[in-house]
Amino acid sequence: MTAAPTTGTDQQALAEEIYRLMVGQGAMFALDTPIRQSLANLAEYLARRERRDPAEVAARIDQALSADARFTREVVGDEVRFVTTRQGAYVPRDQVDSHSFKQRLHDPEHPLPIDDISVVVSTSRPAITTVEPVYISDYWQMQVPPPVVEHVAPVEEAPLAEAPAPVEEVVAEPWVAAAEAPAPVEVEEAVVAPVAPAPVAAAPVEDVVVAPVTPAPVTAAPVEEVVVAPVAAPPLEAPPAAPVAPPPPVVVPAPRPAGPPRNTIFTLEDGTAIDLRRPVDELMAEHGDRLARLLADRLEHDPLRRIVSFGRKYYPEASVASLGKNDLRKIRDYILERGEPLLDTELIADLYYHNPRQQDYEGFRFSLNYRLHREKDFEFVGVEGAYLWATRGLPTIGGKRVKAAEMGQITAYLVEGYDDSLELQSIEAIQQSGSVTRMLTFFEWEYGVLPLDAGLAALLPGPLLPEQRSAVLRFESPQHYTTYLVEVRYPAGNRGGWLQGLEEFFHEHLVPGALLTISRTGEPNVFQVSYEEAPEKTERVLTFDEKKNKLAFANLSFYCAVDEDQLPGQSRFGRLNRLKAFPMGERRKSEMILEHVSETIGDQIGTPDAPRYALTLDDLFVAYNVLRPGSRALLQSLLEHSPDFSADEATPGRYIYTPAPSETVEEEEEAEQPGETVEEIQPARRRYGARYDEDE
Amino acid sequence: MDAKMIVFGETAIDRLLQWLRASSEPKDLTELLRQYLEILARAVREENE
Repeated sequence: MTAAPTTGTDQQALAEEIYRLMVGQGAMFALDTPIRQSLANLAEYLARRERRDPAEVAARIDQALSADARFTREVVGDEVRFVTTRQGAYVPRDQVDSHSFKQRLHDPEHPLPIDDISVVVSTSRPAITTVEPVYISDYWQMQVPPPVVEHVAPVEEAPLAEAPAPVEEVVAEPWVAAAEAPAPVEVEEAVVAPVAPAPVAAAPVEDVVVAPVTPAPVTAAPVEEVVVAPVAAPPLEAPPAAPVAPPPPVVVPAPRPAGPPRNTIFTLEDGTAIDLRRPVDELMAEHGDRLARLLADRLEHDPLRRIVSFGRKYYPEASVASLGKNDLRKIRDYILERGEPLLDTELIADLYYHNPRQQDYEGFRFSLNYRLHREKDFEFVGVEGAYLWATRGLPTIGGKRVKAAEMGQITAYLVEGYDDSLELQSIEAIQQSGSVTRMLTFFEWEYGVLPLDAGLAALLPGPLLPEQRSAVLRFESPQHYTTYLVEVRYPAGNRGGWLQGLEEFFHEHLVPGALLTISRTGEPNVFQVSYEEAPEKTERVLTFDEKKNKLAFANLSFYCAVDEDQLPGQSRFGRLNRLKAFPMGERRKSEMILEHVSETIGDQIGTPDAPRYALTLDDLFVAYNVLRPGSRALLQSLLEHSPDFSADEATPGRYIYTPAPSETVEEEEEAEQPGETVEEIQPARRRYGARYDEDE
Repeated sequence: MDAKMIVFGETAIDRLLQWLRASSEPKDLTELLRQYLEILARAVREENE
């Protein structure tokens, strides 16, 4: 079979037929999407249909389509392909967007000169200080001179301009490594140290630092990270077209040595080093107190207040339950109804009916305490283990005979270093035995007040909260099955502390000079108060008539053991009733009280014109404690530092008081002379007068 | 974590808070401190491993 002669008309018809075939093949293509078909496929199809030689048909097709403008001839390898589109000749799509609004907006046709980028980009901060990216056109970026990076070493520009491809990051590496690199490197960002004038082929580089290299032309190879160290080496020829590198020597990489372990020691602000490799128990034993204080302080000053505390308990702030006004009013009314401070557990049980076995009980308990602590209507008067709450309007414990401000000043001697309560009992002995025994003075007995000296402080619980000023304890008398609420006023600043609320117990069962024992119980806020019982005894003992505001002797029957030397009885201290009951505010003047007491109970050993009074320290102690509490250490200090007092060298423990002459004193003495026989004041029956006998 | 980076009372407080929330009850300061030290030690140990 011979090939039929082809004319122009036949070629056009053949091209038209093939075009229809290919358009039919790409009927679903876009108008400009290329439709490709190989010459072999077309020839095979038409040869089979026309039963001709495929080679002859292929030649005809090639000739016809090559002459047709709608087809584009491609040769891929050994294969010939023809390309067309539904709209005719294939024209490759132009991807370059050279006329977009975005481009025209940012790239003006005639830009103004730019001296400062801030002219173009506003540096004013928005009202809401949010960090928002500011897009700056490449055009403007190019107008601004690039910032000078100080740490970047100077780079030879000319060789780098010939860099073949962009490289992301190149770190100077020994030249050997670069030589082994087989192909050109695409570099976007390179770090290159100063390079001697050696041609370095590198791609467009944003930031290049290269270690100093002696003349050795280096061509960056396709490595992601190349480190070039300063090497004095012969020139290196590294063609950019990825030469066939010699087979690299097989090097078994040595196991990478583990880096040095990270530091496990951190340092506190005071320089204390804490090694976290040590067991936690050891750290707690050695630095526990300091770390606890530091952690509590940091949590307290956390601006987010994520963890809040009450006492030693800590809880997430987000988990703290809230209490509304109704809750607070309900709690306050309930405390007032009961008439005394109440435990938090009582409030929860009686008002909220929460059961301690409930899962959220402790969390709610913490919330209640935390919320009440932040309310001004409530005052925390509890101790560790017994959280008591008081509120405004509760009756004052211990009455109003003694004002807090006055007692704080009167007991200031305790914080001024005149506390000798530990001479008989050490703190360790008190804490071990859980009890304190002390002698009752007249002032303590009369007002139901006990100075909070070191002995009592060692026994009683301290304040739970830093700003806590008082705590309410329950004192039980196992001998009489009675209970008393006692308020502990803690020392604050230069003011001492004291206990009040035992007036009734003292007047009912004790006399001044009695030995009193206070003992701890199983409850942290409950204590026992007891005394040594003795057969009934009646004595004329000093008392204070509050209505007449005078001291007097009265017969008292008591059943407790007393220290006879400390009992202010008439037989021994007959002059005590001459003491002037100063207002409580004046009794804080310890020197004035000392002089008054010395004049009153001292033996007059001088003359009427130049009086001198002699008295012993023991008598002075008893008499001084009639008007105000004071320790022997305080009295000794006053006696030693007062110019009017001098020690009697002949009799140890005896002091001579020589008052400074003054007209006022003389007049007072003269006025007292006529009435030398001081009329004894008859004590009136008072609230505890059932045990007082009328003076004969 | 490098121990040099630790600021006591600030570093890893979030983890301490998570532990406290998970426990769902108030904790004593001593217990809180113990847990905090364990958290810091664990953080340093994990980094070294």
